[in-house]
Amino acid sequence: MSAADGPVRFDPSDFGTIPSSRALRSWMRTTRRQHADRSFWEIFEDVYLVLFTLAMVGATGGNVVRHLNSNAATCTSWTCGQLTSWLPWIVMPLLLATTIRVLLAVGPVSASRATGFWLLATPVNRASLLRPAYRLVIASVAVIGVVAGAVIWALLGEPWFDVIEAAVLIGALLVCAAVATVWAQQTTRRSKWALRVSDVLLAAAVIPAVFLAFRPGEDRFTNHIITSTFTVRDAGGLTSGQLYLLLLCAMAVVVGVVLAVLASRTLDRLGRISVIAGGELLAGLAGAASSLDVSMLGDVIAGRHWRLKGRVRSRRGRGADGAAIVHREFHRILRWPRRIAVAFGLLVVPYAVHGAGFHVLVPIAAAIAGFIAVRPMLDGLRTACRSTGLVRALGWDLRELRVVMAVVPGLFTIVWAACAYPAVGSATSSFAVAAAVISGTVRQASARPPSYAGPLVTSPMGAIPPGLFSQPARGFDLLVLCLAPVLFNLSSLWVVVIPSVVLMLMFAVRPKTA
Amino acid sequence: MSKKAAPRLAVTDLQHKYGDRPVIEGLTFTLRAGQAIALVGPNGAGKTTVLKCIVGAAEPAAGKILLDGLPIDERAEAVRRDVATLLDDLDFFPDLTAAEHLDLLARAHGNSSPEDLVDTTLHDIGLLPAADQLPGSLSSGQRRRLALATALVRPRKLMVLDEPEARLDTGGVQWLSDRLLEEKKSGTAILFASHDPALVETVADSVVTLTPLP
Repeated sequence: MSAADGPVRFDPSDFGTIPSSRALRSWMRTTRRQHADRSFWEIFEDVYLVLFTLAMVGATGGNVVRHLNSNAATCTSWTCGQLTSWLPWIVMPLLLATTIRVLLAVGPVSASRATGFWLLATPVNRASLLRPAYRLVIASVAVIGVVAGAVIWALLGEPWFDVIEAAVLIGALLVCAAVATVWAQQTTRRSKWALRVSDVLLAAAVIPAVFLAFRPGEDRFTNHIITSTFTVRDAGGLTSGQLYLLLLCAMAVVVGVVLAVLASRTLDRLGRISVIAGGELLAGLAGAASSLDVSMLGDVIAGRHWRLKGRVRSRRGRGADGAAIVHREFHRILRWPRRIAVAFGLLVVPYAVHGAGFHVLVPIAAAIAGFIAVRPMLDGLRTACRSTGLVRALGWDLRELRVVMAVVPGLFTIVWAACAYPAVGSATSSFAVAAAVISGTVRQASARPPSYAGPLVTSPMGAIPPGLFSQPARGFDLLVLCLAPVLFNLSSLWVVVIPSVVLMLMFAVRPKTA
Repeated sequence: MSKKAAPRLAVTDLQHKYGDRPVIEGLTFTLRAGQAIALVGPNGAGKTTVLKCIVGAAEPAAGKILLDGLPIDERAEAVRRDVATLLDDLDFFPDLTAAEHLDLLARAHGNSSPEDLVDTTLHDIGLLPAADQLPGSLSSGQRRRLALATALVRPRKLMVLDEPEARLDTGGVQWLSDRLLEEKKSGTAILFASHDPALVETVADSVVTLTPLP
């Protein structure tokens, strides 16, 4: 070793040409291989398992979709016509808005903190360093777009030619949206504008849903829609509409590819901080996903929101004991108005399902929409249940705390269920929906995280804690239990009694802590 | 070092806000080659924010930051080549050893055979026995030393360090003090935030005191 001859002296002649990112990556690959702890066959087994699982899931899913497609294609009911007419106008802007928002949250081009410090902060060509991540994003978005488009249009019973066209068009549109987000990532101002565009698209998705929800009865429209839908399908060969769509698909693909290539040349304009921020969020989300913890996914996103916000106006508390906690929860929930707006916006779901004629599904749709609306309001309870220190500091028993912290979300649930009442149709069903929402959300929010410290169960994925796979279902189990009497069309007495018992038991039991 | 040389770093009327709340207002100073400026002040005064603005990790609300007379932009190759930064955003690859991290950094800066430089640096910083350890097995202090070593295996005209003495033992702080004086002698400009009066006294030519804004 030639060390130990005094402090390091900086000699500029030691530093010559900056290496290419390819050379640096190659060096890292070689170095990592030297301390790899798995053999080629072990890696091959894992890859084989993943590919086999994907093939199985793909084949099963594909068969289900094919079966549903042939069923839907022969459907002549009024509800099928309604869905075929309206769903594309809801799905397209919704997919675009979701793509933009999700991609901007994670970058879209992202890198770990380690890569940010050890590679991106060096003079090595940044565009070249980021290109693999960029390509992965674009490819993933294209695949997701194609699969989503294919599945949705297949479920609508469209002919397979139309399904492929729709899939390609949506894939290309999402790629264009992804490229736009890469461009937006380059400055804060652009990112803000892109978020506004996603809000507009979200509003655009709600408009047809509202139309669907509040359309007049089926008698007036049955003939028109069914006729118009099936006239197109019965025509032999390509119709002018299909040709037009084909041309549009080709143009969208060309535009998507050109934009993707152009954007890849601007990757050096991405700031290191924006790239790392996305990487940190992805790492957090990956950690939560690996423990199948849906609530933790929400925690990661909420945590990032508040970190970016940084500062809000402090408000004085009011009252004492439980009243003080209720008051604080009320203010905490008001602090994120967007969530409240989205929660009320979700009211459109039961009305749209009702408007489309799927009356049997309205309670379950209302309960799921209500669950999504109310769950974010229980972040406070979630924090308390995961922090024994906080519970100790508050001086309350966790069971009592759970009751107190569920007061404001519970009141909101009652208001929400009352607003959904005209779509749900009966007071007892609305009660069941409200009970399902509050019991399900409270159970999910107060769920104990999977513990790797205790006994583990052997599985093909290695040792896992018991109950890991039931983790995502937590909360939804109570939701289904409360709605069971409605779904099985039991008498009103059962529709009230079963959810009441679930609620009582739910709040009587002390939640387990980690 | 000649006082007439062009400033390596010139900060003029720097402002930064968190939301509507100003954190830094009207901060102006210049730093020349071979000089050291210490940012001091209580917690929340904005020391780290100033450093983040300078290295492009935060966007100033107003003001100018010039490196060798040109607006500083962390995306520019020259800035990435010349500015050695140590903020709180350092993380390690879990599967590369301490020596490999330094090796990687030296190579990324154009040193194609940095073995001697890495060994000397590891020895200098007291990490030679831990050269083959993965970051997960290093102690907090060792990780800090490794972080400091990152500034020594690369070219640098300006060093921006946020509380470099944090988590170092007494011997480590003494080493740091000597090391920064060496850097000054070799012409490197140093801007650092610190809570250690002795380090500030020994190393800094000027002190910028920040106070929390109301």
